[in-house]
Amino acid sequence: MSQNTQSKALQREHWDAKRIGNLLLNNALLIIMILVAIYIALSEPVFLSPSSIINLLSQTAAYLPVALGIGGCIVLTGTDLSAGRCVGVTACVSASLLQAADAANKMWPGIDPLPIPVVILISVALGALIGAFNGFWVAKFKLHPFIVTLATQLILYTALLLYIQQGNNNGQAISGLASQYRDFVVGPLVKIPLGGGQTVSIPNYVWFAILLTALMWFIWNKTIFGKNMFALGSNEEAARVSGVNVFLTTVLVFALAGAMYGWAGFVEGVRIGSNTANTGFNYELDAIAACVIGGVSFVGGIGRIRGVVIGVLMLRLIFVGLPMIGMDQNLQYAIKGGIILFACALDMRKYLVRK
Amino acid sequence: MKKKFALALAMAFMLTILTGCRGGNNPPSTSGSAENPPSQAVNLKVGVFYYDFSDVYISKVRSSMDQALTELVGKGNFTNYDAAGSQPTQTDQVTTALTAGCNLLIVNIVETSSPDAAIGIRDAAADRGIPVIFFNREVSDDVVNGYDKCAFVGTNAPDAGHMQGQMIGQFLVDHYDDVDLNGDGTISYVMFKGQEANAEAEARTQFSVEDANALLTEAGKPQLAYYDASASTKYLVDVNGKWSAQAANDYMNGILSTYTQSNGNMVELVICNNDAMAEGAISALQQSGYNNGQGTTVIPVFGVDASDSARALIAAGNMVGSIRQDAQGMADAIAALVSNTQSGTDLMTNINAERGYTVDLNEDGTIRAAKIRIPYHIYTGEQ
Amino acid sequence: MNQPPLLEMRGISKTFPGVKALDNVSLTVRPGTVHALMGENGAGKSTLMKCLFGIYNKDRGTIILDGREVNFKNSKDSLEHGVAMVHQELNQALTRSVQDNLWLGRYPKVGGIMVSERAMAQRTREIFQELSVNVDPGAIMSTLPVSKRQMVEIAKAVSYHAKIIVFDEPTSSLTETEVEHLFRIIAMLKDKGCGIIYISHKMEEILRISDDVTIMRDGTWVATRSAQELTMEEIIQLMVGRELTHRFPPKNNRPGPVILEVENLSGKYSRLEQVSFQLRQGEILGIAGLDGSGRTEVLENLFSSMTKGSGTIRLHGRTIQNNTPRQSIRNGFALLTEERRATGIFGIRDIRENTVISNLRGYLIGGICLSDKKMAQDTDWAIQSMHIKTPNQRVQIRSLSGGNQQKVILGRWLLTKPEVLLLDEPTRGVDVGAKYEIYQLIIDLAKAGKGVIMVSSEMPELLGVCDRILVMSGGRLAGEVDAQNTSQEEILTMAAKYV
Repeated sequence: MSQNTQSKALQREHWDAKRIGNLLLNNALLIIMILVAIYIALSEPVFLSPSSIINLLSQTAAYLPVALGIGGCIVLTGTDLSAGRCVGVTACVSASLLQAADAANKMWPGIDPLPIPVVILISVALGALIGAFNGFWVAKFKLHPFIVTLATQLILYTALLLYIQQGNNNGQAISGLASQYRDFVVGPLVKIPLGGGQTVSIPNYVWFAILLTALMWFIWNKTIFGKNMFALGSNEEAARVSGVNVFLTTVLVFALAGAMYGWAGFVEGVRIGSNTANTGFNYELDAIAACVIGGVSFVGGIGRIRGVVIGVLMLRLIFVGLPMIGMDQNLQYAIKGGIILFACALDMRKYLVRK
Repeated sequence: MKKKFALALAMAFMLTILTGCRGGNNPPSTSGSAENPPSQAVNLKVGVFYYDFSDVYISKVRSSMDQALTELVGKGNFTNYDAAGSQPTQTDQVTTALTAGCNLLIVNIVETSSPDAAIGIRDAAADRGIPVIFFNREVSDDVVNGYDKCAFVGTNAPDAGHMQGQMIGQFLVDHYDDVDLNGDGTISYVMFKGQEANAEAEARTQFSVEDANALLTEAGKPQLAYYDASASTKYLVDVNGKWSAQAANDYMNGILSTYTQSNGNMVELVICNNDAMAEGAISALQQSGYNNGQGTTVIPVFGVDASDSARALIAAGNMVGSIRQDAQGMADAIAALVSNTQSGTDLMTNINAERGYTVDLNEDGTIRAAKIRIPYHIYTGEQ
Repeated sequence: MNQPPLLEMRGISKTFPGVKALDNVSLTVRPGTVHALMGENGAGKSTLMKCLFGIYNKDRGTIILDGREVNFKNSKDSLEHGVAMVHQELNQALTRSVQDNLWLGRYPKVGGIMVSERAMAQRTREIFQELSVNVDPGAIMSTLPVSKRQMVEIAKAVSYHAKIIVFDEPTSSLTETEVEHLFRIIAMLKDKGCGIIYISHKMEEILRISDDVTIMRDGTWVATRSAQELTMEEIIQLMVGRELTHRFPPKNNRPGPVILEVENLSGKYSRLEQVSFQLRQGEILGIAGLDGSGRTEVLENLFSSMTKGSGTIRLHGRTIQNNTPRQSIRNGFALLTEERRATGIFGIRDIRENTVISNLRGYLIGGICLSDKKMAQDTDWAIQSMHIKTPNQRVQIRSLSGGNQQKVILGRWLLTKPEVLLLDEPTRGVDVGAKYEIYQLIIDLAKAGKGVIMVSSEMPELLGVCDRILVMSGGRLAGEVDAQNTSQEEILTMAAKYV
C-alpha cells in the first residue's frame, strides 16, 4: 500500500514545470506549426478560405504517397534515393499509355488509351518491381540502401531517358493526356459551393491519398508484415533469431515503397500534365525530409504514419504559407533546413540516454 | 540546463520564423497604400514565378524586375517564387498564389518541351479572369493566343543562336590562321549544350554552327569540324539540364586529357549555350595552361548571356564573345504590361513598334501572337 | 534415473579453417534436470550450442532429441522443435513493446495477415502470470532496466513450450532477488520435465542449481559428473587443466598516505547520492553492492563519463575539476569500463592503435605527425609488462581473448601515467586462468604506488584482492569494511540496507 501511495505521489509531483516543459518540447513541432498557421491566418485571412485550405490539402495529398513509401525504408534504418526517378519512370509510363488518341505527338500511336485500372496496375506493379529490386540488393548483399538506391536511381534515369525516346516521342514531353485520365485523378467528386455561383473542388487524388494513408496505417500497425518491419528496423539480429524472414521482409518493405511511388507516378503523370526525364526529380528529398520531421527516425524501428502526414503537411505549410505572408523566397530554403535540423534534434533528444 | 537550452532553442526558432516573415516583404495591410501610386484602377497583387533563382541571367532579370515592380505596385504587393527548376513546384506555387488572392501572374515557365504546364497555368488564370504574362522561357503561340489576357515577353530564341553563329563566323574569318593551331586548315570545335529538349538550347546548338559555317563558306574556308569525328551527336549536354559550369568543366577536362596541342588535335574553338558553361570550359582550359591572360594561348570561347563574370573574362582577353540578353529591356517590357493591367486597359495597349517593341506579326502586319521580342546584342567587350 | 535422455549430442566435431573447434564432444541432458556446461572462454561451449541450433553445420556426430535424430536448419527450426535459448547478449527490438518482442516471428494472426493485439496481450499476461514476471506487456523495451529485459527473454524462451532451454550466462545482469526468481522459474521448468542447459562462469550458481556438470576444454569433452560429487576446486582444475593452488596472488602492496578525497559526490541523472570516501596511495579500494546499487555510478561520476551533480574531489589536497573525461584524464584518472566490447575496445583496429589511443599527444613529432616508432615501442612495453599473448601488435584486438583484451586496455591507461585507476569489473568475461594474471597486475600497480578503485560483482574477488571495501546500496554508501576482517554475509547485509 505504501508503495502504491508513494508512486501516486510521485506521479502528482511530476506534473510540475519540468513535465510541462517536456510536454511542450515533445510536441514542439506541432505547436510551432499551429502557431505559424495562426500567424499566417491572422496576417493573411485568405489563408483560411476554402480554396486555400483545399490547396494545402491537395498539395499534401500529392506528396504524401512518396513519403509514406519512403517511411518504411527509413524504419529499416535505410533510405531510398531512387524514389524520385521511380516516380518519373512510372509517371512517363502511365502517361504514355494514357495519351489521348488525338494527342499531338502520341508516343504509341497504335494503342488507344488503356483502361485506367490496367494502367494503375502496371504503374504500381512497375514501382513495386523497382522497389523489390532495391530490396533484393539490400537484403541479399547487405548493402546499405543509400548505396543501392543511389545506383538504381542512376539506372532508372537511363531507363527513363531511353523510354521517352521510344515510339514517336523522340525525347519530348509526354502530354496530351486522355480526358478520362485527368477526370479520374484530378477531376472532382466533391465541389464545395462558395456562394455567388462559385465552387471550389477537391481533386480526387486527395481522397485516394486518404485511402492510401489508411491502408499504410493498417499495414504498419495491424499486420504481421508491419510488426516484422519495425522489429527488423529495431534489431535485425533479434528478428532473425526469432524466426522472422529477414530477406522477404526487407524486399517487401522496398517493394511496398516502390508500389507507393508507382501510385505517385500515376497521379503525377496527369497532375503535372507534362512528363519528361525530369519528372519526379528530387521528390525523395522532400519525402525524406517530411519523414524525419515527422519523427520517423534514422535510428530505425521508430515512426508513425501520423508523423509522416504531419511532416508532409508541415513542408507544404511552409511552401504555401510563407510566400502568402510575403516571406522572401530566398529565406524559405533556410527555414526548411532549420526545421529539419530542429525536428531531428528534438527527436534524438527523446532517444538519448542521459548519463 | 539542457532542457532550458532546448526550450530556448525552440523559442529562438519560432522567433526567427515569425520575425523572418516581417523581414521579407511587408504585408500589404501595413505599407501597401502608402507606396501605391494614387488613383489606380486595379489594386494589383502580383506573383512572379521564376524557374530557378540559381540561374545567373534570371537573377539579373529579377533585380531589374524587383525595381520596376516596386515602383509600379509597391513593395508589399508582389511576391517572388523560386521553382528551383521543378515544374511541379512551380505549378503548386501558382495554385497557392491564386488562392492567396494574387491577381496578376508573371511566369518564367520551367517546362518548355511541352505546352501543357503553361496551358494549365494560363487556364487557371483564365478561370479567375486575371492576366498572365509569360517571360524569358518561351511558350507556344497556342498558349498566348488561347486567352486574351495572356502575353509573352522574351527573346526570339533562334536569334541568339544565329547571332552567336555570326559572331563566331566573323571572328574566325578575321583570325583563321591564329585559331587553326595545328595548321591543318580546319577548325576543330566542341559544343556544350545546356539541356536536352529545350527550344533555346536546340536553336543555339544548331544555328551557331550553321551560321558560322555559312560565313566560313562565303569566305572560302572549310566548315567547322567537330573535335571527335566519331561522335554520334555533335555536342556535349549537361545531363542534369542545368546549363551548368560544372558540367562544361567536367567535359572540358576530359577532352583536354586526350586532345592536346602536342598531339596536334587540340580543340580550337569552344561554343557554349550560355556563359556559365563557357566559364566552366575556360576554367578547365586555364588549368591546362590556356586562356590565362597575356602570354598564354587563347582558345576562342563563345557563350550567351553576357553575364558580369563573362564580361570580365572577355575584358581580360580569356573569352572572345557572348550574346547579351537585355535583362533591363525585358523587365521594362513586362513593366509596361503590368502598367497596362494596373490602369485597367488591355494588356497589349500601346505595345507596338512605335513605342519600340517588336511583336510577332503575320506577313500582313497584323499581330500573330501577343509575344514581345527583346532583341539580343552581340557582346565582345565594352565599346 | 532410468528415464531415456531428452537430448543427446554424440561425438560432435566441427572444424573451422585451421582450427579444430569441437572434437568428439558429447552431451546428454535428462528430462527434469539442469545440466551445467562449463569451460573457459574459447573452450567450445558456444560452438557446441551453435551446432545444436543449426547456426553451424557440424562435421560429424548426431543429435537425438526425444529419441529422434534431428538436424535443425536454423534457430527458427529448433524453436519449432522445442529447443530454445536465452542469449547472454540481449537481442531485442528495443524500440518495440514487450509483447511485440515476445511474439516476434510468430504473432497470433487474425484474417491471415493481421496481428491480433488482443490475443497477444492475453497470452503475454498468461505467461507473465505463470512465471510471476512483473513487467507491463505494453512497455517499450528500451525503457526497461536490463534485468527486466532479461526476464522478458526468459519468458520468451518458456513461451515456446520448449523441452530444452539453454541459458547462456543468464544472471550476468540480474540482481540477487531476480536471480532467486530465475532459479524458481528453472525449478518450475524442471518440474515440468524440461531439460535445462545452463552455461555460466559463476561456480556458486552452478553448484547450487545443477544436477549434472559437463566440463569442456579446448574444444574437447573433459568430464561429465554429478554436481554433488564436485567441488569448486575440482571444477577449476578440470577447466584449466592444471591445478590452481591459489585463486588470488599474494597481496604485497602497502597503502600509503591519502591521495584522493571525495566528498558528497552525487549524480545529475544517475542514482548516486552524497558519497564520500578516501583513497590511499598504493591501496586497492573495492566497491561492492548489488546491481543497480550505484557501484558503476561512483566510478563514472568521478570520471565524468556520467554527468556529475555535485561533490568535491581533492587530489593531493588540491580541489580538482573532473567535468569531462578529457579533464579527468589530464588530472591523472583512468577508467576501465564495464562493457569492454561496447565502450572499451575498438574491435576492428589493431592492438597498437588500441594501446596508444589515449596517449596520442605523446607521439607527436613536430606537433602534427604521429611517430610510428614511438607508438610501436610503447605497445611493445604494454605487451611485455601486461603479459599480453599476441603474435604481434598489428592483429585486430577482437581476435584476442577477453583477458588479453582487458590487458591491452590496462596498458592503454597506464601509458597516460595515471595516479588513480578506476577499474569497473576488470575480470568480467575473462577466463579463470587469466583472472589470476589480472589480479596480479592490479596488485603490482598498487605496489607501484597507484591508487586503485575496483568495482566487482564477484564478492570473493573483492575479498581476495582489495584492502578496503565500500558497500553501495540504493545509490548511497552503506558502509565500509576491511577486506581482511569481513565476510560475504556482512557485505550482503550492508548491500541490502537501502534497497
